[in-house]
Amino acid sequence: MEFTPPEINLLIVAPVLIIMAAGSLGMVIDLFMPDGKKGWAVWLAAIGLLLALAQNIALWNGNYETFIPQNGVAMVVMDNFAIFLNATFLLTGLLVIPLSRSYLQRTGLEKPEYYMLLLFSISGMMLMGMANDLILVFLALEVLSIPLYIMCGMLWPRPESEESAMKYFLLGAFSSAIFVFGIALVYGATTTTAIPLIFDAVAANGLNAMIVTGLAFLMVGAGFKVAAVPFHMWTPDVYEGAPTPVTAFMSVGAKIAGFAALLRVLMLALPQASGEWVTAVAVLSTLTLIIGNVVAIRQGNIKRMLAYSSIAHAGYILIAVAAAADNPSAGVSSALFYMFAYLFTNLGAFGMVIALERNYGEGNLLDDFKGLAKRHPWLSLAMAYFMLSLTGIPPTGGFSAKFYVFGAAIEAELYWLVLIGVITSVISGYYYLRVVYLMYMFDGEGQLITGRALQFAVFVMAISTLVLGLFPEGLFNLTAEATLSATRLLAGG
Amino acid sequence: MTATIDWYVALSAILFTIGALGVLLRRSAIIVFMCIELMLNSANLLFVAFARSLGDLHGQVLVFFVIVVAAAEVAVGLALIVTIFRTKRSINIDEINLLKG
Amino acid sequence: MTGEQFVFLAVSGLTIVAGILVVTLRNLFHAALAMMLSFLGVAGIYIMLGAGFLAAAQLLIYIGAISILIIFAIMLTRRMMQAQDTPFNSQAGAGLVTAVLSFILLVFVITRLWRNEIFDSPPEVPTAIMNQIVVQLGSDFVSPGAYVIPFIVASMLLLAALIGAVYVAWPQVEDEA
Repeated sequence: MEFTPPEINLLIVAPVLIIMAAGSLGMVIDLFMPDGKKGWAVWLAAIGLLLALAQNIALWNGNYETFIPQNGVAMVVMDNFAIFLNATFLLTGLLVIPLSRSYLQRTGLEKPEYYMLLLFSISGMMLMGMANDLILVFLALEVLSIPLYIMCGMLWPRPESEESAMKYFLLGAFSSAIFVFGIALVYGATTTTAIPLIFDAVAANGLNAMIVTGLAFLMVGAGFKVAAVPFHMWTPDVYEGAPTPVTAFMSVGAKIAGFAALLRVLMLALPQASGEWVTAVAVLSTLTLIIGNVVAIRQGNIKRMLAYSSIAHAGYILIAVAAAADNPSAGVSSALFYMFAYLFTNLGAFGMVIALERNYGEGNLLDDFKGLAKRHPWLSLAMAYFMLSLTGIPPTGGFSAKFYVFGAAIEAELYWLVLIGVITSVISGYYYLRVVYLMYMFDGEGQLITGRALQFAVFVMAISTLVLGLFPEGLFNLTAEATLSATRLLAGG
Repeated sequence: MTATIDWYVALSAILFTIGALGVLLRRSAIIVFMCIELMLNSANLLFVAFARSLGDLHGQVLVFFVIVVAAAEVAVGLALIVTIFRTKRSINIDEINLLKG
Repeated sequence: MTGEQFVFLAVSGLTIVAGILVVTLRNLFHAALAMMLSFLGVAGIYIMLGAGFLAAAQLLIYIGAISILIIFAIMLTRRMMQAQDTPFNSQAGAGLVTAVLSFILLVFVITRLWRNEIFDSPPEVPTAIMNQIVVQLGSDFVSPGAYVIPFIVASMLLLAALIGAVYVAWPQVEDEA
């Protein structure tokens, strides 16, 4: 039998391959490196991420598809939507690495496994954006989650860390099982798990009870991942117990990946069901905004406060998703913009928390912020700026993001949802600005432990937030292009 | 009347609910995990049932991937359970409450 | 009642009863055995549905590997093998309500299905395909025209899970102060 090389263009999936290869390479190198040198893993991870990012950007506007099974629909698509999300995840990784460096050294965690698991998780996130088949979405969900379960528990034998890993694991496995059941129901109703074919099947045969139930199960499964209310119970405990760089990574990366899955399912597979899911999404969004913002006020621990804050931000993104039912391009592109801006702002805020945490579990209270402004003026200014951005006060990236999201929702005539969004944004000002107040108006013993890497990363993130605040149109055009390529089915293209 | 596909779907739904009940009700982390495995099995059942009724082998292939995921979760989950037990001497979920703030 | 129906009821009854036992038994080890019984029942269902290869895989992986791992974990956390005061956790009330509601939802869906014509009778899967299934599966898993991407992703998943599990479960080197 002759061997005919298969017709696949590996360059298309090269970003993911690079990250996976870097992760595996790291484990191999670990075998041979003497125990004393520990820093090499950082450079391997960083170089891998940069290479992947470069390759990723090079693929822009290519609309490639590859790995096409018999039903004629590619399993993996590299449309602009996927490229944008990939860039988001890779940037998350690139920023988390300098943030975590000195923290890891302080707590004795500086092992190559940390970076390799980080890389594996990022590869799962990237696959999530590129997946064109529900089973690949499920596998990507697991690939991104399982390293996170471990990373939460990496500070064993500290019991808080182990507990957070256990809780995250049990809830994560539970939600995965629900998600798979949803896939099975959709498969039964449409004979396929490929997303464009699901779209065709629904277009041809209409909706039936089984597809809608499958959709409900899929949304519940994804809802756990993005920590929407009422699936948010795990978030505060897990965020508090995990090592803070891992918390930072989770709060941005896992959440955006969860939204990638949700967007793919809702927008590309089942847009005709939008009459059904827009109400559900709007209700979820309302609950999430209210509970996330209100409970955050009562938190005395900054990690728990940021956990509830990230729950609330999922609520804002859900507003954009709800708007996408009526107006796909505005809704999805504002969601993408929000996620990108949120990445910089949230990681920046966590950067300060990491710097403040002298040792695992110490220095996490709001009171520890007192008097920081006098000792570390520049970093406190950055933190104040991040808090402004999280509240949504101009000129910050957070404000631009909320502006676009609310704009899309107004276009979709979801007025009451916008009202709730605005009111809760104002409420959130209380707990965000409280941090600023503590930093500047009090005297205290707050001490930051920063290395050059962390300072550089925080600086980059602050500048990015400023740029997004002052010149948002550039990014917004990018997200609009990304959305266009993803929804070309809906645009009739 | 043969056993039509509805019966298999009903069985799958019942098994899923039993598993979900177990996750929500039981105290021991290992039992919760066993119930999650039950839920995954029920989803597998659904896949195979639909594969049969639709005459399509795609469903059976998907079952393999779900089994792989279940195996990976078992490895990780049990490692975490054993680690917690070493530290706390208990895997009672009610006692995993150091983080309630 | 035909033979097929009888067999179905027997096997599914076994699966369901075993499932209920997993949820209600106090002794962890007995619950694990019940779980193995449940997996056996599911394997029987696979055979009835014509998925012989899957049934064998189910036996090997679920009963032969996953259940054994769980029993290992039970043995390693030995003190929990004793019966507890109550097996039900503090969230039992809310959990029960939620599960009952979900069950009602599922029953609703299924009864709607009863009238759905797609499912009147399963088509006969040609024996040629049934005999070829192992070959077909094998080539599908590695063919770029089929399932190679999920296959590769699944292997990366196993690698990551292995690394993580070993890292977490490694015995401590330093002594506990």
